[in-house]
Amino acid sequence: MPVISPNALAPPAANDAAGPVATALREKVRRLERAHSAERAGQQAVPLGIPAIDALLPNSSMGGGSVGGGLLTGALHEIEAGPAPSGRVAAHDGAALGFAAHLLGRFGTLRPGTILWCRRPGAADAPPYAPALAAWFDPARLLMVTVRRDEDLFWAMEEGLRAGLAAVLGETRATDLTAGRRLSLAAEKSGVPALLLRAQPAPPQSVCTTRWRVAPAATHSTPGLGDVGAPRWRIELRRNRFGVPSVTETPTWFLEWNDEAHCLSVVPQAFDGSTREVETRLVG
Amino acid sequence: MRLADARALVPDLVTTPGEPQADHRLIETLANWCDRYTPWVSIDPLGGALAEEGAEACSTGGFGGDAGLLLDVSGCAHLFGQGEVGERALLADLTDRLSRHDLACRAAMADTAGAAWALARFAERQADLFCPARGHRAALAPLPVEGLRLDAPIVETFLKLGLRRIGDLYPLPRAPLARRFGDQPLTRLDQALGTIAEPIEPRRTPPAFRTRLAFVEPVGRPEDIAAATSRLLAALCRQFEQAGVGARRLEIALYRVDGSVDRTAIGTSRPNRDNPKLMKLFEEKLGELDPGFGVELMILAAPEVEAWDGTQDVLPEQGMLAASLSEEGTIDLADRLALRLGAENVVRLLPRDSHLPERVQTSGAAATPAAAGAWQRTAGMKGARPTRLLQRPEPVDVTAFVPDDPPSVFHWRQHAHRIVRADGPERVADEWWRPRPDGSRPPANTVPPYRDYYRVEDDDGGRFWLFRDGPYRMAANGRPSARWFLHGFCA
Repeated sequence: MPVISPNALAPPAANDAAGPVATALREKVRRLERAHSAERAGQQAVPLGIPAIDALLPNSSMGGGSVGGGLLTGALHEIEAGPAPSGRVAAHDGAALGFAAHLLGRFGTLRPGTILWCRRPGAADAPPYAPALAAWFDPARLLMVTVRRDEDLFWAMEEGLRAGLAAVLGETRATDLTAGRRLSLAAEKSGVPALLLRAQPAPPQSVCTTRWRVAPAATHSTPGLGDVGAPRWRIELRRNRFGVPSVTETPTWFLEWNDEAHCLSVVPQAFDGSTREVETRLVG
Repeated sequence: MRLADARALVPDLVTTPGEPQADHRLIETLANWCDRYTPWVSIDPLGGALAEEGAEACSTGGFGGDAGLLLDVSGCAHLFGQGEVGERALLADLTDRLSRHDLACRAAMADTAGAAWALARFAERQADLFCPARGHRAALAPLPVEGLRLDAPIVETFLKLGLRRIGDLYPLPRAPLARRFGDQPLTRLDQALGTIAEPIEPRRTPPAFRTRLAFVEPVGRPEDIAAATSRLLAALCRQFEQAGVGARRLEIALYRVDGSVDRTAIGTSRPNRDNPKLMKLFEEKLGELDPGFGVELMILAAPEVEAWDGTQDVLPEQGMLAASLSEEGTIDLADRLALRLGAENVVRLLPRDSHLPERVQTSGAAATPAAAGAWQRTAGMKGARPTRLLQRPEPVDVTAFVPDDPPSVFHWRQHAHRIVRADGPERVADEWWRPRPDGSRPPANTVPPYRDYYRVEDDDGGRFWLFRDGPYRMAANGRPSARWFLHGFCA
């Protein structure tokens, strides 16, 4: 299919006279679409360390031509706890929290400083547990903020974004579009990554740059024993702005966290004893 | 004199029922208002306005009622003029403003609290109300003995003995007086003459640093109040620099034209004397103040200051790629968040060396984070831990095939979870060296209670952290005595 270029649309006769006009128009279009190629000044893309996923994520403006992209630093990313494969609602969002902690760890190695964690405790309060988070980043960097209302939560996150921290994370169930837009604008302006952790999947309309749906997956026990193996997650990339369009609608991976090696890796399907159908992304 | 007798003497006497509570509130409002002259304000404990309900008799002695305030204005009169002129001007200003609010009052100034008390109530002439320095002995002499704040029986005996004036007590020998009446007359006399010190107990702790700004015309617009605050803050920060301290708490008071006072305060987690940062903290709070009909005076005080440790301040850079936040910047952010959400809601996580999982994590002030790597040491010694820990472990119903085995099915929140994989048990025993919550210690030579923790995975892949509270034993009613709980959710 022929690629339609802006030149083809310009009237051929007036090409010379419309030269400066066309250039000006092109510049205007490029400025309007400036975010599309992630040409924000000073934005960096933090790779996840998994080539299969990084290939889909946007590149940073600096270091053009690097191997793959990553999560943009000055953007809003959402992580939600997805339902179980059997269709049941997830019992808890421990897996989503683990993945969020992993992302915070990746941001944290690039940017030193405090990490702000805002949460709104519910009736059965289950705050994050630092000895587990220590696997991904140093909990001494955390500044934990407890709020009573959603407006306070978004306000606290904005203050953190404006203050220039390493990263900001908020746990919320609110789906306020305006608040999300303000957060993403504040993140863009200051270059601080913002993460939203949701216990339930959010409605599709949103202003986040990437949206991840994380569900726990069956682990692989040591052969012979029935023990719980290394934690495994099923990650779906449901929204990927400025990134590379993928073959499937929502690329999905099975990832396993290796505590000794401190790395996240894709689980090869052949060894996984599950018989579920999954869409694999072929790295070619 | 009783009310009936008074009505008999003067038939058209005007009376109103007394309201002790309202009187009490009025005197407290006045005490707050007098804060504009000096922070050393106390309500006179002998005031008649503090009488109990139901007292019908009206009190005797002195001019007008007995409610009063004691102000220590040493060193505060210079704002009104130099030396004695300033002191007279302060007294005149106080009386003038109070009378503008339709309060009949008498104010006297003297070297000691006792002398001022007596002069305010018993001085005959207006000119005597101001007692020049070191003139209180002569000024007290013509006043009646009731002015010494003595108990009624002692006053009665004095009057019977013909000692009507305070001056009559001067030449008396002290030892027989003490033998006859106890030490109260001598103490009061010494306090009035200044031989014994009588400090005033202020109602609020006097701040170490204070600046004030009086307006010629009352201001009401928020911009004017903000501008005045920033001027006061600049003056106060200069005082801090000279004294080498930084503020931990700042309080601003607005004195309105109707005589009421509105206050608000900000707090910081580290001593601070940087004007822009403090002003930014104030801006949020100034919106809560209500100027009413107008503000005539603003006082900015620092009730809590700390020695300044002299680090240079660095303002965080604005820009697309903000520089990583220095420690100062995080403290400022924590201060702003604490101002709106409360200081107990903005915390750092500190590790504690404990076996019990719920005790491992504590929270501390935002200004004191744990040492880098402190969590690594604590976390590395334990097994796999859940990413979320429930504040209160929730009981679950469990079916297990063999007592010591991990469960095979557990019911939690009306859902049955079939367990396919499990890790454990990890035995966590109670810490016998810590006293129990009621203060007793566990008995010696007994096995402390323990929990067996299991990390389980159900058929959906969800991973949970369960524990059994105690060994598996059959109780008398045939059911297992130990209960199972859900403590956390794993990644």
